Amino acid sequence: MNRDHLHQEAGASAPALTAEAVTVRYGDVTALGEVSARFEPGRIHAVLGQNGAGKTTFARVAAGLVQPAEGSIAVFGQALAGGNVAEARGAGVELVHQSFALPPSFTVAEVLQFVGPRPGLFTRQGIERYWQAWLDGLGLGLDAGARIRDLPIEMQQSAEIARAMVSDARLLILDEPTAVLSPEGTERLFTRVRELRGKGVTVMLVLHKIREVLAIADTVTVLRGGRLVAGPLEARDLTAESLAELIIGETAARLDAADRAALVGAGAQQHDEHSRPDTPPALVLRAVSTSPHSGGKGLNDVNLSIRGGEIVGIAGVEGNGQRELVAAIAGLDPLTSGEISLADKRMDKAPLAARRDAGLRVIPFERNVEGLSLSSPLWENWSAAQLVGGALLAPVSPRALRQSAEKAFRAWDVRFSDAGQPAGSLSGGNAQKVILSREMDSGAKLILAAQPTRGLDIGATMAVWKALREARNDGAGILLVSSDLDELFDICDRIVVMVSGQAVAEFTAPWDIQAVGRAMTAAGRQSAQEARS
Amino acid sequence: MTGRLFPVIQTGAFIVLALVLCSLIFAAVGLSATGTLAAIIDGAFFRPNALNHILRWGLPLLITAVGVVISFRAGYFNIGAQGQFYLGAICAAFAAEWLRGSPAFVAVPACLLAGMAGGALWALWPALLRVKAGADEVITTMMGNFIAAQLLVHVTSGPLKDPSGSGQQASSRPVDAAWRISESSGSSPVIIILAGLVVMLGWWLVNRTSFGILSGLAGRNPVMVTWQGAKVQRIAVSAFVLSGALAGLAGSVELLGPNGRLASGFLPDHGFTAILIALVAGMSIVAAGFIALFFGALTSSGLWLPIMTGLPSAAIDIIHASIALFITAKAGALRALLTWFRR
Repeated sequence: MNRDHLHQEAGASAPALTAEAVTVRYGDVTALGEVSARFEPGRIHAVLGQNGAGKTTFARVAAGLVQPAEGSIAVFGQALAGGNVAEARGAGVELVHQSFALPPSFTVAEVLQFVGPRPGLFTRQGIERYWQAWLDGLGLGLDAGARIRDLPIEMQQSAEIARAMVSDARLLILDEPTAVLSPEGTERLFTRVRELRGKGVTVMLVLHKIREVLAIADTVTVLRGGRLVAGPLEARDLTAESLAELIIGETAARLDAADRAALVGAGAQQHDEHSRPDTPPALVLRAVSTSPHSGGKGLNDVNLSIRGGEIVGIAGVEGNGQRELVAAIAGLDPLTSGEISLADKRMDKAPLAARRDAGLRVIPFERNVEGLSLSSPLWENWSAAQLVGGALLAPVSPRALRQSAEKAFRAWDVRFSDAGQPAGSLSGGNAQKVILSREMDSGAKLILAAQPTRGLDIGATMAVWKALREARNDGAGILLVSSDLDELFDICDRIVVMVSGQAVAEFTAPWDIQAVGRAMTAAGRQSAQEARS
Repeated sequence: MTGRLFPVIQTGAFIVLALVLCSLIFAAVGLSATGTLAAIIDGAFFRPNALNHILRWGLPLLITAVGVVISFRAGYFNIGAQGQFYLGAICAAFAAEWLRGSPAFVAVPACLLAGMAGGALWALWPALLRVKAGADEVITTMMGNFIAAQLLVHVTSGPLKDPSGSGQQASSRPVDAAWRISESSGSSPVIIILAGLVVMLGWWLVNRTSFGILSGLAGRNPVMVTWQGAKVQRIAVSAFVLSGALAGLAGSVELLGPNGRLASGFLPDHGFTAILIALVAGMSIVAAGFIALFFGALTSSGLWLPIMTGLPSAAIDIIHASIALFITAKAGALRALLTWFRR
């Protein structure tokens, strides 16, 4: 404790983090280009930018996970060689990742004991008492005796933050902490972050929504395409509009108001009416239940109906049955009870190939695992959809398939040099367009779009939204699963909120953000209480 | 064009490198490096009747290797080629025993089909265990090899035992001389045609059918193919059964051809060499054909080596394995050099 105190004294005048011309390259790609910035201690700094702007890379450099090719990093005046987590940790930096990595079977106390400084023999009650007192001091609202796997996402994040604070971190970096949280959870996180600041901790938040940045940050740093656009700027001098200009840059002019609002998270309220009440339902789920997945929850009595020409959004904190819903509609998860009809045909037990014949198309959650075979040629990836319905010994003409694939790719503006190149050589946006070109043909009657814009840059995101709107206007029904509420508000005709495998609420425009947020968390807190008791 | 030529040059370079390295190893145990290398090449390609010997050893390997390529491409590491090869030979031998006295035009196709069926069955149960119960096919097919080897001991010293046999090695009664599809030490037009058919059908299956494209995708990413709605289990079982059937065909070819009888523990490396060929060929049926002939040449040279240089014929196994090792490990430095050279 004494030593730490000295540390703080020494570092009091030095900036919490100094970056000098930091450059990071991944192969040919420059993820960060000559970024220089100084972050003052004891404040909340937001690093803001679109997907692919280099925010996460910047956070990883500061935490010693990535060694910059050029430039230098210093923490509280102490220069880091970079690429060494132990060294960064020694200097007082901790990073909480976007995806959590705590051992699910451990209790919170065990995790803290494991990473913490107290050696020796201990009893379960002993460490729970010790760490509960410590946790209460942090104000994280965590129960030291709870197992990680029983904690709701929000509390798992708190456990990650607690884990980071064990080593007396003086610079805490949170990478996209709000991506997994409901609006209310985000509020509570921000309260905790402010408490940490009150204790003298410097916090850096990697964020991509303007609304959140303006709510929490003392300073804002904007990255775009791996370059520093501006910052750290004093947040009180900024407005949502001026930040939007900084984030989007010159392309801002080309966006229409709705897309722009959704991109910057300003909460679009404009909405065009597209629903066609007279069209028959493209999808009907009646009292559908499935058995629980490993680690997840099965669907529980879900009723859902989607008409042609309608986009229905599925909102919810991740891990509340969205994946199970998509898998059940795709026929990859067997139903334990209930009925599924596609285009007025009962499909309770039909395999995916038969459902595809009936007009089902799937843009799966994991682009690089479920959507594409990265080491296979592009044309083979594209052709799979054409082949699955037929006989295994059906003769095929690779040349013809290749030509149709190339034609589809060009229609979708996929940037590729050769249809024979492996799918893994495309950027995320282009890879997604390959999937769209395969899944959004004219025969599509119901499109399952699962997180279709995750990890895409602005241009690609816009292309996906445009494609979804066009498919809707052409009469397809669309189920859009997204953890980005702004995206859902912008593009959906209806929004269904899922909690614990149940469809708990349904909303139509004009959207009531607060009500959607409450619906997302209402039952979640219930299950958290059950887990604790 | 360079795109197609490059892997060929690369494979050739690795083969040369492996040969050179192996002869250095032989030099380290006190033999002449150049002398051994020369003897290997001489034994493989320049002895009288070399082509016949290459085909004798290469074509059965080719038939099995094409099957192994098909299962590897689909993402299933079927290393049970040896057991499937034995089961093919055993079933063909039973068929030959039952059909004793019937004309060759009935018996030969029947024995070949019986061999294919035997090999297919010996691949079917690991396939079903894999898709229904998730049992790792590496383990099950490897255990299948041991069971098949013991089964071979059993039938050659039991049901099919040659009563007149007195050697140390148990064996079955020789097949009817009229049914033999080749001499003991050579190949024949029948085997060449069979192998040719296998390559053509294999190539067509892999490059010109729905199965070929879907199994290639499934081999690299089964999850993606599942999300496309393909019946991955059916693809898996088909690939297993095809590869088993071809190994079984090779077994019956060996029985009706060069071997002429079923002997306990015969050709114990056949299936494993075929796996090495498939690895070296890198998923290509045509390449597997060429590599099989090359490995066949080395194998025939292996019989020659002990006489010429005092090296045991197992030295050829070392060469086979080194080639496969180099190709699969893609020895970094040489690869970088070749990539640079390609510019």
